[in-house]
This record gives sequence, C-alpha cells and structure tokens, in this order.
Amino acid sequence: MTGSDHPVTDGPADRDVPADRAFVCDDCGHRWYYDRRRCPACGHGAESAATVRLETGAVVATTTVETTPPDVRAPNHLALVRFDEVQLIAQAADGDLSPGDRVRFDGSHRLRDGRERTDPRLVAVDDS
Amino acid sequence: MASSATDSTGVRVAGVGMTPFESDSERALADLAATAAEGALADAAIDPGDVDALHFGNALAEALDEGAGLANALAAALGLDGASADRIENTSATGASAFHRGVDRIEKGDADTALVVGAEKMSAGDTRDVTEAISRLVHRREYAQGVTLPSFGGLAAGAYLDRHDAPREALAAVAAKNHANAVDNPVAQFRKSIDVEDALDSPVVAAPLRLYDCCPMSDGAAAVVLTRATDEDDAGHPAGPRVAGTASATGTHAVAERPDPLSIDSVRTAGERVFDSAGIAPDDVDVACIHDAFTVLELIELEELGFYDPGTAWEATLDGDTALDGDLPVNPGGGLKARGHPLGATGLSQIVELVWQLRGDLPESRRVNDAETAFAINVAGFGNNSVCTVLRA
Repeated sequence: MTGSDHPVTDGPADRDVPADRAFVCDDCGHRWYYDRRRCPACGHGAESAATVRLETGAVVATTTVETTPPDVRAPNHLALVRFDEVQLIAQAADGDLSPGDRVRFDGSHRLRDGRERTDPRLVAVDDS
Repeated sequence: MASSATDSTGVRVAGVGMTPFESDSERALADLAATAAEGALADAAIDPGDVDALHFGNALAEALDEGAGLANALAAALGLDGASADRIENTSATGASAFHRGVDRIEKGDADTALVVGAEKMSAGDTRDVTEAISRLVHRREYAQGVTLPSFGGLAAGAYLDRHDAPREALAAVAAKNHANAVDNPVAQFRKSIDVEDALDSPVVAAPLRLYDCCPMSDGAAAVVLTRATDEDDAGHPAGPRVAGTASATGTHAVAERPDPLSIDSVRTAGERVFDSAGIAPDDVDVACIHDAFTVLELIELEELGFYDPGTAWEATLDGDTALDGDLPVNPGGGLKARGHPLGATGLSQIVELVWQLRGDLPESRRVNDAETAFAINVAGFGNNSVCTVLRA
C-alpha cells in the first residue's frame, strides 16, 4: 500500500476557522464548535463539514482574567455562551456582560499578539 | 465500612517517599526523582535490585527542555538493572496515572515489585515559558481566545456562587483550611496560616478567583513502592495499606462543551467506577485528597463524587466538616493549594499523604484519627481526565 492510497485531508482538527463559526454536519445538520473527526450527534465523518456563522447567544458565565498568558491582553474578559446546541468560551469586548445577557460576535480584533488573522469578540445585543 | 469492601487489586503500598515541595528547588529534576525514589525504597526496606518495574511520571520535561528518556536515566541512576521502565504523562494527573500503571503491572502478574516516581521542576523554565506550556493544555480554539486553566476556574467559581447563592467567603474558607493543614507538614510548599480575610484581600487572578484560590507552581517529587498484597512482606515488615481500587475516566477536552459549567463528568464517572471497584460508598471514606488546583474545584469535586449533595459542599466547608477534625477531613496535607502542585508528582504526593494517614505515623497535629479508608482524586486539565484511588489500612 502506498501513501497515495490514503490521501491526507484537512479535517476539522486542522481547520482554523473564525471565532464566530461553528461546524455543521452535512448529514444530520447538528452543529458543534470544538473540532471533531465525526459529528457528535450522528457519527458522520466531519472532514467536509461546512461552517455556519453563529448569530445570537446567551451568556452562561463570565470572568475577567487579570493574569494572562504571553501575548494575550490583560485583563482578558471571557464569557461562556450558549448558541442553541453550541456552547463556547470567547473573548468579550468588555467586562460589562452578565449571565443571561444576549450577545453576538462583532468587530475585528487580534486575539493574541503576533497572530496574522483577526476575529470578532462578543458584544451585548441591544434589544431596545 | 461497607461490608462489600474489597481489596480488589491485590496490591499494597510497601513504602513511600517524597521531597519537600518548593517554589525553586536547587536540585535538578533527576535528583528530585532519585531522592524520592530512594526514600520510598528505604521505607519499604526493598533493595533496588528487587524492583522489576519503574514507572516515571513527568508532564513538562519536553516543554521546559529537560530532556527525554527520563525513566531510563532514573533506572540506571538507582541501579534497577534489568527492570522494565517507562514514562507516563497525563498533564496534572500524571502522578496518579503512573501509580495506576504500577498497580496494573502487579495486578496482572507482569511485575512483583514496582517503583512509581513522579517529579516535576517547574522552575526549570522562566514564568513565561511555564505559563505558555500550561496554557497549551487547553483546546486549540480555547487557546486562541487566551483561555487558561484559571479562566475555567473563574467561570466555574462565578457560576457556583451564583447558582447556589453562596458567599465569596466559601471559596476563601477552602484556602484557609488547606493552608492550616499545611502548617505542620514539613514537605509543604506553603507552611503559612492564612485566614479568610487574607484570601479575600489577595489579588484577583480570574474573577472571582483570587491568588489564594489558586495552587502555585512547584518543584518536587514523590514515590511509592508497590508489591503484591500479603499479610507480611519477605523481610518481616508489617504490610502497608492496600490498593482497594483504581479507576479513571476522560471528559470533554473543550470545557465549554459541558452542558453544565458545574458538571465535570470525568470526576463523577471515575468516582463511580472506583467506589464500585473497591466495594464502598462515599460515606465509607475516612479521609480524602481532592484535586484543589482552584478552591472551587474542591467544592465541585466533592459534590460530583457524592460526598455532598449538589450545592452543599460550600456550607459543609464553612461548618468545618472538611477540616482535619471534621466528619470528612479533606486535604490533610494542605492539598495542591498549600502543599504545592509539581504536575508529575502531585498525584503521588496524595498517595503518600494517605499512606501516612492510614499508617498513623504522623504527629497528632497532622493526623486523622482512626482512618481506615482513604480516597484520592487527581485531575488533568480542568477535568479532561480524572484518576481516582481508594486505599485501605
């Protein structure tokens, strides 16, 4: 058997997608955020899973980290947020969020110094 | 004690040894490991030539440029000629995983005498390097957001206090209790008593967690000698505590994937498995070492393991139930918080502490009275993997 019999493909584990994107199973439609080789709902292979933009979510918990690793802003405002079946931890634009707040991704920020790309941060949704 | 309690593994802890845990040891990693190993061999009165398996736990050697082949080098240094040897790595649960490997080898008949050593020298790198190495333990997409282990602690602590309407003092009480337990422990990194106000006034790390809610970076080593369980060993020494059960379980790698931020499935599953394996219930445990990398983890783990109902461990802590003289003494040696947390050694230092407690060879100020059944949990990351052990006198 040669190497060409087993072509290497870029599965989700190798895909660097924007912070506001979740993977979606092309078989059952289930969404997930943290890379997997297979859909956690139906087990379908995730190599070709498309991504979908996350719209509005609800804050579950927040923290502001004062002691941050190299190349990360201090303080680093973080929120645990639920977008339907998808739950994730992401940087918030500021420290004003509280559990229960509705949020969306917005803006363009370098999340760690030295990174080429930029990503959106979480901001409160104005319901007024 | 439950009538169904068993010594299911048929393995006993014949001897233990450890170095003091320190913030900046003068000793090299290999020297720390060898010192703890020689202490355990001497305690067991077993000659190095009788060891046929060496399992060496270390988490950060490559990240801190401390080399590879650690187990082979230690085997040679100790004179374990011909013994099998390997290295175990399971991040902050490395020590307990190495212990389990040793138990498994004897239980399956692959070895008669196993030496298990855990060592870490976190001061080998500068703070930036160590912080970066530890921050790499999280999921790739979490890393991109600057998420760290204390970040998880802050999120969980905020959720715990909010959901259970608990006062901030409940977290500080965990820190004060574990510091008090370390004052008379000669191997503890922080032998300094603090009160609740000290903890509440310390600098914020990841709100609401403050400095005294977080374990330190540490250097140190711990070791145990395991043999087949008999009433008396070949040299006529009384038998040591028996390994009644070992079990582990993985959880989600990404912490955010857990449906409930206060739920750590790996802790609950590993606990259920080890209690089943040992034939006991949480109520049968006389003393416990709980992985308190952050104060809130001690509370969550106690609840996940069934020692307390959800949302009640904080009240039990404030009531003194988990103090040295309480109904369930927790972290009598100071825990990760005050004894220290050299990643590869921590799980074994829990075993060492529990062996000392079960043998009763500690001064009265350190001793849990009449302890017969002991429990330990060592956790990787923020619950990616949990490793539980039950020992019986």
